[in-house]
Amino acid sequence: MALTILRAGPLTSIQDAGRFGMLRHGISASGPMDGGAFAQAGALAGGRRGGVEFTMAGLEIRLESGRCRVGFAGGDFVARHNGAVLDWPGVVMLGEGDTLSVTPGGWGNYGYLRFDADIDVPLVMGSMATSSRAQLGGLEGRVLRAGDVIALSGDGGSGVLEVEQTEPVTGPIRVIWGLHADLFPQALRQRFLATPFVISSRLDRMGVRLEDAGSVFAEAVALSLVSDAIVPGDIQILGDGTPIVLMRDHQPTGGYPRIATVITADLDRFAQLRPGTPVAFEPVTVEHAHALLRSR
Amino acid sequence: MTGSSDPQTFPTPTIMPLGDSGLLVRFGNTLNDAANRAAIALARALERDPIAGVVEVVPNLVSVLLRYDPLAAAPATIAGELRLRLFALGNATQPAQSWTIPTRFDGPDIDEVAALFGMTTADFVAAHNAQPLRVLVTGFAPGFVYCGLHGDGLMLPRRTSVRPAVPAGSVLFAAGQTAITATDMPTGWHVIGHTDFRNFDAASEPPTRLQPGDSVTFEAET
Repeated sequence: MALTILRAGPLTSIQDAGRFGMLRHGISASGPMDGGAFAQAGALAGGRRGGVEFTMAGLEIRLESGRCRVGFAGGDFVARHNGAVLDWPGVVMLGEGDTLSVTPGGWGNYGYLRFDADIDVPLVMGSMATSSRAQLGGLEGRVLRAGDVIALSGDGGSGVLEVEQTEPVTGPIRVIWGLHADLFPQALRQRFLATPFVISSRLDRMGVRLEDAGSVFAEAVALSLVSDAIVPGDIQILGDGTPIVLMRDHQPTGGYPRIATVITADLDRFAQLRPGTPVAFEPVTVEHAHALLRSR
Repeated sequence: MTGSSDPQTFPTPTIMPLGDSGLLVRFGNTLNDAANRAAIALARALERDPIAGVVEVVPNLVSVLLRYDPLAAAPATIAGELRLRLFALGNATQPAQSWTIPTRFDGPDIDEVAALFGMTTADFVAAHNAQPLRVLVTGFAPGFVYCGLHGDGLMLPRRTSVRPAVPAGSVLFAAGQTAITATDMPTGWHVIGHTDFRNFDAASEPPTRLQPGDSVTFEAET
């Protein structure tokens, strides 16, 4: 069984849950930008390991042989099976020669296709996640493009047919004060919370740059810091005052100051914010962040 | 650099959250020998005697990151376990491995670096290789290794401009350290040489060979 990529937007990649335990070797975990949507698409398809993450421009595939159930979720997109519009998120059974096309809808940056079959790519350090930074995993360590053929094998998970419609959650993105919060004066931390930022068009799997229209960090002093561990969601302030939220393919360590870290429960939602969207941050305690995770 | 294993010599750490799934144990705010040795010792202690719920232990230059599963362990419990291990730190330090890295000291910046110290290139190479260095940390990029610390006599800031790409195996020098790249990457460090040693192989388990705390001797190859 194989599928051909007929059309792929930039940064389309094969992902699984991630490649953990490799930070000390210089490799961040990668994995889906919206882990919740990735899991939802997996539940719809019947839960095999990998999946294809696509970006706002969408995707089109053709199943070359066999039959395959495909679950799809994440953001808001329009899916078509041989031209006929499907509900989003949802699930479809593809037969030989069938096409599934995905085009952008009203919101979101990332969506997922998952299959009731295994994606036949070699595991690299235990994972098929594509790392755009380390250029490994997935298909030859690179993004997918038109003409790529992906082999699928095995069959038959049992998916769920109950489809939960997703609505974008709004409200501030919650953060925990960061590693270097104490290096930012109290007044500046207050302005960080009081002033909305805007998602810039400079975003990828490594990080999302924010437009600091309120010039919160315009006069932040460039500090010389000892390089330290980075985790996904860390908000680091570059030397020119640009805030950047580090995402799944983040560098493992860095020397720029970090004011706060986006909580796990809000990082998926943050990843789906399109360029131009205003974003505000709200501090919470670690305990509150854990309670939010448990209630998901 | 002789390292005492006396726990008294380790600086007192601060334990702070790094997001909602990490605790960072930090032994200092600046790079110094004692803080780095403490970070390495703690990371080793946590490998010998793991804490339940901690899914990954990552030594850094002056800190150790403990990633934990927030659905499986409370950070307060982990911090308590951590204090027990910190209290016992310094006992039973494992001997580190020793490595010799044959290096061709023919990098594009080597003559300039030597000149900045007022040395001939040969004298700089001799001074650089005179002492074994310690692996301070690994992991800025796949297989990337920082070795140090050179004494005050071999301190040099980074270059003012960044080279867009240096090849895997480049031997870099700056900030009292010598680093080895394992992948092609941009760098603002001085490129002083090249080695055939590769500290990264995705097909190996683990994928890197040098560990923090290992002893590294650079050897000039002609």
